[in-house]
Amino acid sequence: MTDQLLFTLDGKVVSARPGETIWQVAQREGIDIPHLCWLPQPGYRADGNCRACMVEIEGERVLAASCIRKPAPDMVVKTATDRALKARRMVMELLLADQPPHEDSPDRVSPFWHWAEVQHIETSRFPAHDIIKPDLSHPAMAVNLDACIDCGLCVRACREVQVNDVIGMAFRGIDARPVFDFDDPMGRSTCVACGECVQACPTGALMPKSIVDPITQHGTREVDREVHSVCPYCGVGCQLSYQIKDGKIAFVQGRDGYSNENRLCVKGRFGFDYVSNPQRLMKPLIRKPGLPKGVNVDPANPYTHFREASWDEALDFAAKGLAKVAEQHGNSAIAGFGSAKCTNEEAYLFQKLIRTRFRNNNVDHCTRLCHASSVAALIEGIGSGAVTATFNEVEHADVVMIIGANPTENHPVAATFFKQAAKRGAKLIVIDPRGQAMREYATYMLQFKPASDVALLNAIMHVIVEEGLYDVQYLQAFTENFESLKKHLTSYSPESVAETTGIDAKTIREVARTFGRAERAIIFWGMGISQHVHGTDNARCLIALSLMCGQVGRKGTGLHPLRGQNNVQGASDAGLIPMFYPDYADVKSESVHKKFEDLWKTKLSEKPGLTVVEIINAANAGEIKGMFIQGENPAMSDPDLDHARAGLAKLEHMVVQDIFLTETAMMADVILPSSAWPEKSGTVTNTNRQVQMGRKALALPGDTREDLWILVELAKRLGLPWTYKHPSEVFAEMKLAMPSLDNITWERLERESSVIYPCPAPDQPGEAVVFGDGFPTQTGRALLVPADVLPPAEVPDEDYPLVLMTGRQLEHWHTGAMTRRAGVLDALEPSPTASLNPRELARHGIKPGEQMRVTTRRGSIELTARADRAVQEGTIFIPFAYVEAAANILTNPQLDPIGKIPEYKYCAVKIGRAHGDEPHVPMPDINATASGL
Amino acid sequence: MEQKTPVSGGGPDRPARHVGSRKRARAFPKGRQLENDALEDVQELLRGKPRRADLLIEYLHLIQDRYHYISAAHLRALCEEMRLPQAAVYEVATFYAHFDVVKEGETPPPPTTIRVCDSITCAIKGAEALYEALKSGADPAEVRVLRAPCMGRCDTAPVAEVGHYFVDHATPRAVETVVDSGKREADISRYETLAEYRAKGGYAVLEKCRAGKLPFDTIIKEMTDAGLRGLGGAGFPAGRKWQIVRSYQGPRLMTINGDEGEPGTFKDRYYLERNPQQMFEGALIAAWAVEAERIYLYMRDEYPAVLHILAHEIEALEKAGIIDKGFIELRRGAGAYICGEESAMIESIEGKRGYPRNRPPYIAEVGLFGRPTLNHNVETLYWVPEILEKGAKWFADHGVNGAKGLRSWSVSGRVKKPGVIVAPAGITARELIEMAGGMEDDETFKAYLPGGASGGVLPASLGDLPLDFGSLDKYGSFVGSHAIVVFSERDDVADIVINLLRFFKDESCGQCTPCRVGCDKAVALLERRQWDKELLTELAQTMRDASICGLGQAAPNAFISAMQFFLDERLGTEMAGRA
Repeated sequence: MTDQLLFTLDGKVVSARPGETIWQVAQREGIDIPHLCWLPQPGYRADGNCRACMVEIEGERVLAASCIRKPAPDMVVKTATDRALKARRMVMELLLADQPPHEDSPDRVSPFWHWAEVQHIETSRFPAHDIIKPDLSHPAMAVNLDACIDCGLCVRACREVQVNDVIGMAFRGIDARPVFDFDDPMGRSTCVACGECVQACPTGALMPKSIVDPITQHGTREVDREVHSVCPYCGVGCQLSYQIKDGKIAFVQGRDGYSNENRLCVKGRFGFDYVSNPQRLMKPLIRKPGLPKGVNVDPANPYTHFREASWDEALDFAAKGLAKVAEQHGNSAIAGFGSAKCTNEEAYLFQKLIRTRFRNNNVDHCTRLCHASSVAALIEGIGSGAVTATFNEVEHADVVMIIGANPTENHPVAATFFKQAAKRGAKLIVIDPRGQAMREYATYMLQFKPASDVALLNAIMHVIVEEGLYDVQYLQAFTENFESLKKHLTSYSPESVAETTGIDAKTIREVARTFGRAERAIIFWGMGISQHVHGTDNARCLIALSLMCGQVGRKGTGLHPLRGQNNVQGASDAGLIPMFYPDYADVKSESVHKKFEDLWKTKLSEKPGLTVVEIINAANAGEIKGMFIQGENPAMSDPDLDHARAGLAKLEHMVVQDIFLTETAMMADVILPSSAWPEKSGTVTNTNRQVQMGRKALALPGDTREDLWILVELAKRLGLPWTYKHPSEVFAEMKLAMPSLDNITWERLERESSVIYPCPAPDQPGEAVVFGDGFPTQTGRALLVPADVLPPAEVPDEDYPLVLMTGRQLEHWHTGAMTRRAGVLDALEPSPTASLNPRELARHGIKPGEQMRVTTRRGSIELTARADRAVQEGTIFIPFAYVEAAANILTNPQLDPIGKIPEYKYCAVKIGRAHGDEPHVPMPDINATASGL
Repeated sequence: MEQKTPVSGGGPDRPARHVGSRKRARAFPKGRQLENDALEDVQELLRGKPRRADLLIEYLHLIQDRYHYISAAHLRALCEEMRLPQAAVYEVATFYAHFDVVKEGETPPPPTTIRVCDSITCAIKGAEALYEALKSGADPAEVRVLRAPCMGRCDTAPVAEVGHYFVDHATPRAVETVVDSGKREADISRYETLAEYRAKGGYAVLEKCRAGKLPFDTIIKEMTDAGLRGLGGAGFPAGRKWQIVRSYQGPRLMTINGDEGEPGTFKDRYYLERNPQQMFEGALIAAWAVEAERIYLYMRDEYPAVLHILAHEIEALEKAGIIDKGFIELRRGAGAYICGEESAMIESIEGKRGYPRNRPPYIAEVGLFGRPTLNHNVETLYWVPEILEKGAKWFADHGVNGAKGLRSWSVSGRVKKPGVIVAPAGITARELIEMAGGMEDDETFKAYLPGGASGGVLPASLGDLPLDFGSLDKYGSFVGSHAIVVFSERDDVADIVINLLRFFKDESCGQCTPCRVGCDKAVALLERRQWDKELLTELAQTMRDASICGLGQAAPNAFISAMQFFLDERLGTEMAGRA
């Protein structure tokens, strides 16, 4: 290659690629040069500070650090001269002087000890420094600076790789040391516990607490085996490696996956001990007769309401109950909730079970609660519900818009790439009613009034039209309806929406110009867009904005709704949607219908099924009487929980398959204890359209079973002729139904761990960016859909003066079933909070940390007040993971008319101090066995 | 219908709540919270000022100057205002000696700080006794006494600084008088103003350059013929440097290194307190030559009078229309010797810790803010207009013993008339001692530092060596900043070496292992009763070979040359009990 240069390395002429360092070339040539501060992993810049890798360059006065020095043409480099070897050994000896003895080290197998051993440095002739006490203030990590060599890898990990900016190298000279914030204890700092520093540390100075003795601080990373898999939490889909010792996950390492490049967040790294939580369900349970159904069971002791049963008895009972309901009330009385936490294969089988056995389409899952409106708008606009570009494309963007999403909390590893883009110089536009960590990196932070999205986005588009910043050629070639959109936008001048949105016209114009003039712009959004009664309209605006500027289908451009669950993309693709068969095949379409009847060799219903909230309403109305719920927790996740729980409690027969006694399982008639994610194999699909392989790492505990086995056994008992023994068989069948999986096989996934769909060939990577040459719509063009301002369903008034927004928080996943049972995550966020601006709290006489009461027309909860300046006055934010103060008791079940998604992000509340008296809770107008139990 | 029911979500015994530990949640988001009062204080200090990250050190000074210390609350507020992470700000604030970061629960320092110079010249002139006397006499509620590195006033050693007022030839009594007097600001000496400088023909050369009458090539030739070299210590030929910088694609920047921290050196201060405009003219000629967009002048915080003069004279230049407003930006150091290293200085100008950079790339290619950067020492620039006016030959001819040009020697120690001596390059130590009035009465010349703390220590027997760049290579020594510290028989070489190594240990930035750990271990080894010559020699070799910058590379010169030239000194029993 022309770019390569030649130089001499240890007497041999070698070539270096552009940008390669001497160390890298040497490594390639099989020369192992010691290194401590240099971590040859993606994202880590060489720093050249430890001087463990010195080499001699002919003609130079001093030695050079091979990790950072790049070869020049004809340079003569010697890696093993006496001088170089002496310097390296002396560096090790200097460092070793201040290390704890090897056997007392926090990591006996650290790279430091490896390189000491390789160079035969066992002792140091230098006097040792005083011992530094450990900092054990953090629940997840032990800090033993006694073993620290000031290499700064933790600083780079925190500052440059994860961009969390918590660790610095403070003080000077021999006093220099890594600090958290202002040299605060790690556990009291702003640390978000991503653990990147722990993964990078070459000495054990930073270690997962799980593998360090709490008293002696002796530890080791030595394990029996490792298993490569993928994280079970959010839609980012980080690849990870379980480090297994004595049959347990000792700790977790990030792996170099496309979407994470070795990075993890606090959940993916420290959130796995839920699998061995004592509350794990170990035996099938059948409900004892005569007890009221409700959220009224101690999850540690189900035996007040349930009795143990054998698998045969429980499966028979589950199947017979469902069959009986169908027999007595018709097939349409049955519905199923599958799970975005389960695998593609399980999702596929789940919907197939409901559809083929009960001949209806009443099968849905939590996608309805997160991005249903986004998907509706995307399918309407561009003919596909998935992202047009992977989030990694942010690397190539020069303008990045993040709206209605809080990625540092909800997609933490994706957020690291966004922050890196901003640091590299991309302009970051953050639009959210709530301030957030991302604002520190933003060029523009538009903290607008809640629910004024359409007005704001229309105004931005208004400016783009007015100033002619749209892409005429693109619009002509690839879109339709621009003229009508253009006309529609005339009434949305920035001045006209300034008051509605709380953003001044000048800023709106600047943002519009920034976006309109971008070379490559990419838009990310989350549930701040989708979870509104106008969620579909919000998404339509974003689609129109992107398309009018021609920002789809090229490198560094696109539309990316950040998917929530680890497999919400895959579960949707696999058909866990009432109006679609797998791959979004319309159940109403005759040809589609025929195709699936042929494939599944049975009659199917051509009527779209009910969605999540509709199913709950139907249960309340007595129309749905039997349900099969796999790994979902509607008794926590649905809006207006009193109503939702009442509906579930009213069911004649409810089968729940889960690993814990979730609030939903408490109301079940039979509970099938299943496998946690590390206990089974299967594929999942992340927000990037990467189909990824999850591998079994742990043995099933107690009398639990893999989910696939449970599904098959239940299906058999329901009369279906199923014989699937392994997820690979299911995957093979899915490929028959899903062209999106073309060129992706089980074997390939086993080999490569991850393949993006669509994928052009078995030996080609998938397409990170799609729709460069048109759209999968009937016309091949994208449709621009104008949207008008629709008010939220419930606006503040005198009685309920504040706006409530709900959502997630970094440490807790969704309804908390897993994360609240994970020790570290629980320790970090142990109980429910309501975040408000300190001024708002003061106005209501509530002190930070006090118990406060939050009330809506639907109910009240009490929880700890948290003063957070990022929350704007007049609003309140509550995460919904906490059963003891379930935010969804408060939320409004009003739906977006198209996406059928509830308005989790906006309802009217009143607040006050909790005085210890009982708050008034209006009774729902239903049989209220589930309420307030 | 309304009915009184318990809070939703659990029953009377709330069994469903048995999830998680149910401990109390935090009342605030993670980490230290922002305080409104502190935020208002900081906003007031920063009123009208840009929130640029490179100005961080300037703003830390604003807080330190106003409150005598930097509270965690103010520091947190500064992070908020500048949108910088806490760790990034804290690491900068704690890197520099002149910032007192006071965390919650800690006692702020008293209003008055006395710094006693403990670098080598002051040390042999009784700094330790002065420090102890002041320390024991001071009311800790009112005054704190700190040791501090070289203040660049070695000609008046020992020196103490009360606030920013310097007490030369300090005695405990003199310092206490100043403390009581309330004087805290430096005296500004009478210096040549812009008007005066111009009146005697100043800025004529710059005007010729700008008028196109003095082409770039001519200037380079003059500089090269004159043999002008970088007088900060490295001795790189100035003309060559200009050519190199100009060869890189613009926009280019220029920096002036006024961080004269090498113990024993005070020549830059000497010129700037007397004739600052000659340096400015030289700087503007250099900036013109390399087409620099802007000049950043980095001045050490130990020179408050110079800082005052420079600010005033930059304004005068702007007013006179010689430069555009903002063309020269004055930046104030904050107590870090390492910032005299050019890449560390550049980091400091960028608002960061003074960490020297790995090279290549050299700053001429990738310097300040990533741009090609011309950096010069003050004295180097000072000579530029004079050379161009009087001709290369005038300058070059001054040299003796084969050297070229004039040098400003900072001579201090046991001589009668210490001070800046302008003398030829290539002169000997013995000649300089003579020019400085000879040895003090009853003192016998025993040893000298040819180049401040870094250049090693040479015996009187080598007092007749010509002193210039490169001339001492074979003695493992160098002239560096041309700071000659003269010792007599009463001075103990072991003490001198320990003083120098303690200085390097204190001033090591801490970035690379050989220097950070090496200086620390070297001090520990040197403080021992018996020096481990073999280990010290091995250590020295690694420090020289593997340190990132000149500090660590030169630090062992002191003990290596001591072991080489003062073997009989043996550093044995007399060292007992020292720690």
